Amino acid sequence: MSFFDTHLLNVVIYLPLVFAALVLMLPASEPGQIRAVTLVGMLLDLVFGAWAYLRYEPGGPEFQMEFRVPWFEHFGTSYHLGVDGLAASLLMLTVFLGPLVVLASTTYISHRIKEFHLALLVLQTTMLGALASMDVLLFYIFFEAMLVPMYLLVGVWGAEDRQMAAVKFFLYTLVGSLLMLVAIVSLYFISAPPGARSFDYATMYNNLLSANRSLAACVNGPEGACASLTGLAKLLHTWGPWMFAAFALAFAIKVPMWPVHTWLPDAHVQAPVAGSMILAGVMLKMGTYGFWRFAIPFFPVAAQQARPFLATLAVIGIVYGALMCLAQRDIKKLIAYSSVSHLGYCMLGMLAVTVEGATGSAYQMLNHGVSTGALFLLFGFLYERRHSRLMSDFGGIAKVMPVFTVAFIIITFSSIAVPGTNGFIGEFLVLLGTFKSSLSLGFGAFATLGVILGAAYMLWMVQKVFFGALTHRENQHLRDMNLREVLTVLPFIIMVPVMGLMPQPFLDRIAPSTDRFVARASVGAPGAQVKDDQLRVEAMALPSSATAAAPSAHVPHAARAAAPSPRP
Amino acid sequence: MDGIIDFFRTAPIPPDVLAPSLWLIIALPLLGAFVCGVFGRMLGRANVNLIACSAVAGAFVLSVLTFWATSDSAGGRVVNFPNPFGLERDVVRYALAHDYGTWFAAGDFRVNFGLLVDHLSGTLLLVITGVGFLIHLYSTSYMEHDEGYARYFAYLNLFVAAMLTLVMADNLVLLFVGWEGVGMASYLLIGFWYTDPAKAWAGRKAFVTNRIGDFAFLIATFLIVLLVGAFNRQADPRDFNAAGTSRERYEQALSERGPVNFKGLEKMAQGLPEGTGGKVSLETPIESGPLEGHTFGGVMTVAMLLFLLGAAGKSAQLPLYVWLPDAMAGPTPVSALIHAATMVTAGVYLFCRMSSLLVLSPTAMATIAIVGALTSLLAALIAFAQDDIKKVLAYSTVSQLGIMFMGVGMGIFWAAALHLVTHAFFKACLFLGAGSVMHGNGDETDIKKLGGLRHEMKWTWGTFLVATFAITGIFPLSGFFSKDAIFHGVEHNHLHGLHWVSEVVYALGLVITACTAFYMSRVYLLTFEGKRSSEARVAHAHESAWHMTLPLVVLAVLSVAAAVYAFPLMPRAGGGMQPVFENFLSPVLRPAETVAKAAETVELDNSTPSLLAYLTAWLVAISGGGLAAYLYLSFFPKRAGQPVGAVARAVRRVAHNKFYVDELYEFIIIRPIKFLSFILFRVVDSLVIDTVFVRGTAWVTARVGSALRYLQSGDAQAYAAVMAVALLGGVAYALIQVLQ
Repeated sequence: MSFFDTHLLNVVIYLPLVFAALVLMLPASEPGQIRAVTLVGMLLDLVFGAWAYLRYEPGGPEFQMEFRVPWFEHFGTSYHLGVDGLAASLLMLTVFLGPLVVLASTTYISHRIKEFHLALLVLQTTMLGALASMDVLLFYIFFEAMLVPMYLLVGVWGAEDRQMAAVKFFLYTLVGSLLMLVAIVSLYFISAPPGARSFDYATMYNNLLSANRSLAACVNGPEGACASLTGLAKLLHTWGPWMFAAFALAFAIKVPMWPVHTWLPDAHVQAPVAGSMILAGVMLKMGTYGFWRFAIPFFPVAAQQARPFLATLAVIGIVYGALMCLAQRDIKKLIAYSSVSHLGYCMLGMLAVTVEGATGSAYQMLNHGVSTGALFLLFGFLYERRHSRLMSDFGGIAKVMPVFTVAFIIITFSSIAVPGTNGFIGEFLVLLGTFKSSLSLGFGAFATLGVILGAAYMLWMVQKVFFGALTHRENQHLRDMNLREVLTVLPFIIMVPVMGLMPQPFLDRIAPSTDRFVARASVGAPGAQVKDDQLRVEAMALPSSATAAAPSAHVPHAARAAAPSPRP
Repeated sequence: MDGIIDFFRTAPIPPDVLAPSLWLIIALPLLGAFVCGVFGRMLGRANVNLIACSAVAGAFVLSVLTFWATSDSAGGRVVNFPNPFGLERDVVRYALAHDYGTWFAAGDFRVNFGLLVDHLSGTLLLVITGVGFLIHLYSTSYMEHDEGYARYFAYLNLFVAAMLTLVMADNLVLLFVGWEGVGMASYLLIGFWYTDPAKAWAGRKAFVTNRIGDFAFLIATFLIVLLVGAFNRQADPRDFNAAGTSRERYEQALSERGPVNFKGLEKMAQGLPEGTGGKVSLETPIESGPLEGHTFGGVMTVAMLLFLLGAAGKSAQLPLYVWLPDAMAGPTPVSALIHAATMVTAGVYLFCRMSSLLVLSPTAMATIAIVGALTSLLAALIAFAQDDIKKVLAYSTVSQLGIMFMGVGMGIFWAAALHLVTHAFFKACLFLGAGSVMHGNGDETDIKKLGGLRHEMKWTWGTFLVATFAITGIFPLSGFFSKDAIFHGVEHNHLHGLHWVSEVVYALGLVITACTAFYMSRVYLLTFEGKRSSEARVAHAHESAWHMTLPLVVLAVLSVAAAVYAFPLMPRAGGGMQPVFENFLSPVLRPAETVAKAAETVELDNSTPSLLAYLTAWLVAISGGGLAAYLYLSFFPKRAGQPVGAVARAVRRVAHNKFYVDELYEFIIIRPIKFLSFILFRVVDSLVIDTVFVRGTAWVTARVGSALRYLQSGDAQAYAAVMAVALLGGVAYALIQVLQ
């Protein structure tokens, strides 16, 4: 039983923080060393993260590589880590982006270099922590902590209007998440009697489960059947929709769904290349991940009631985001709005509550991280050279930057989901899932419109920027990508066809999570056949005080099976 | 003699050896594209030419071997593979297939990398790689002065790979990979000379227009998936029995091969007709799932109509044909390969591939036929007034594709496929001839400024003349027979309940024949006959190098020789003779015939055209050509310099401006969408959401804060006064409560 069996996730999460400490000790006058140390830290983290990803067994228990020690026992919290398939995949995406973000910022950031890299490393830890948390309060802490370094990234190293964008981003997301905190705390109080209360995800979910099932039975039953509800089910009947709304609002802002998306274009436009990449690549997925992990499974009945509404918002997001792109002159804003459109697909696939839709949604989260991350990265290179974001300042630069153009066009095809690229698999499955779902066919048909509009705006932008005659004198001597830049883009370029032609290894890891998500979400659906064995969250119990004294000691599997998580 | 037949019946490489290597046919051009694209500049022009051509030549050799293998009947055993969706003994004859495992799977949906070569896709393999190779060879000379040769050949190889994927795919989704892949390659090649904004724009227009079709294609695919699910749930043993399968086998195949496999769709089509006595027929409503309440036949019609829109995008039919004429912005060999011979015929291929589903819906078939006829007529009329040689050929392609759609729509699939092949030969020859003309005349494309090339470009002239005769439908060239086979089928096949369609479409067909003869003769006469125009760019045209003339000659020979396919030389199953190509495609199209017979949706006619029919068609074509000859050789030259009537001028202007269809689309679709997005951005996004709600909230908070600020004055006396007043109020309230 090695150290890594129990601590691998801890290593992945805190390695960036350790390197942050190293960076802290370096003098600020040594930018080269700071960059090198950060890069090494991120690369090491990539190695461990990839190891964790490969260690995840698709056929095994839902949560793997768990780690749990007591932590503020009086509140019912514990320090509990673990990843399921989706979290492992997003974790992989996060560590994949880490080193590339550092490489992308090498020349982009020229002042406060030390602080910048500190912020990057801390941000990495908080994002990984949020993904691996199995304690709701711990998740919340990481979720909020993420805001601080990102606020700094936008506010300190951003473009001309950075202060406004940073404050807007911070307050906007904070509003939602504070409401969610209220919901979390009230859920904590109602989900179990005093003494048995817990913030642990598994405990909380399992406690709510039977109440949710009886609530679903009565809501989908005859009129007035809900009057006879008692206890937790009654509370959930009354307050569940409100609590769901609080969760949903917090995550919807993060996704962002229409109409709470307006922080995104501002934040993206002002953020430095690293900020945009992380924001698009990982942070937006915290919203979809939150829906997937918390909002929908905790409140399946309320989610079921809100499903047509949320699905409508998602479809509006797809079409509206795409239409917004057609009205932009600012390239970064266009890419930001395209994120709104793409994340609309993620939400729609999830809300379809079909295996195809959920799989597509999860895959689309990864795809969006790759393709939009790469778009921001590539645009960052251009911005460094020209310091303009307006399409009208470019034109015909394919002539002077051919390699850059090729890279950009490949990523564009990925973004507009040409078959053979990663984007196609996600979009196809999302749309197929939507057509197969109990949502009306109109949702699928309107969402498919995004296929046309996506091509229209992306190719329009490509044409404006790359094709035509070189109209601006300043653009005549732009240099093509150098080796560092090519190396930064190359992983993305490789991932596009790999994820498009060999998606199955990725999908295999997502599959167990999608099955469970669909089972849990369809608890609230009328007439759905729920697979009971998929419902309960099986997780590691809190080790007894003897083992807690030596947290590194492993809890044997037998003990885990014998002592299921505490129930009311 | 027997020795020769035996030789042809024995494939040099046995089918079971070849089948697992089918992927090589796609991989070779793909590898060529990769090498040319990444290392092209290092390799230099000669090496790039060599690699690109040999990649396609290699694919051609493999295609020949594969094609040969699909007819292998060595030892009396016809080549076959077990049909995964059928019973144990059910085999697909005259075909090779191999499944390379899962591409992606989620839930009960699955797509495999499965390749299938039967006589239909085998023929197309030969056309794609054969014509493709000739065009690669031609391009080595045509692009000899272009800097971007590496990029060009990389794109061209990429296109060939995508097109091969399209025809070899054994399921709809993999077909869609090729379908969009060729669109992507086409986008890149149309915009090849990207420094010209108009050319880059034309590429984008092509892609986005195609995407509208792909939108419909995707929805149709989803509907088909839902339909397969509903069929699988509702069908009873008799339905499966009628399809030659059983529930267990069908379900097992679904879980292994996925619901979009063509063989599985074929089985569903065989199980659907009324006559099976089973529980499911076209009128049966679907009991559960998202399609609840709709009938199987209704959903099938909708799906087929959506596929029609998809095919209209790729094959340039109404209402999505507008991209093809603009696509002529690309290099001419590209126009020949992509926008004439191969890619644009993908829609025809799609319907032939799904013929057994299509015959279930007479409504969809009638729509296809009518759309084809109208497109064909419209394009022919526009072609009357175009002066750009490539534009005329482009509209003529649209028109010929319309004829193929007429054939597909009226159920004469083999003739549509034959016309696809012959059209690939003569249209590629015409385009390459046009390219040769441009190459020799300083890139002049205006036919009014050419003329008299007959003496200066002998090879180009000869081949162009042969191809013109072929497309016009002059006996005994291939175009005559393939077009006539289509028209014969159109006249004699009848759609159930829609008998009038046959007559209308046939009548339109004759008009189209005359129009085709007219505009093609016009192009030919103005370019090659008469005197050299005084506005010509170069005084004397020069004939092109052998790289360019050799493909022309080969294609011209093929345009003549392909007529053999239409001769009734093969014995028909029920006695009599049938055309070679019909016999040849019958393994592929037989399911469609049986389905049509069982469902009584289409009456398929198997007769061969009579001499009278041949004569009529021939006279119609001759009269069109004769009229053109009279007008352009005698009438107009005499009237040169005289004023033209106002009506004639107006008609010509409208036709020259393509009936203002582009402008119409601009006004009713593109402008409104742009305007809508602008308004949404300015009003909804910036003003309502961001300013009023988001900033409004912040503003209100700030205002309330600054208003409340005045309460925090720090004045102890004021605080005391407020406290006293509040206290008094409280006391007063308490007193009132008590006293009451």
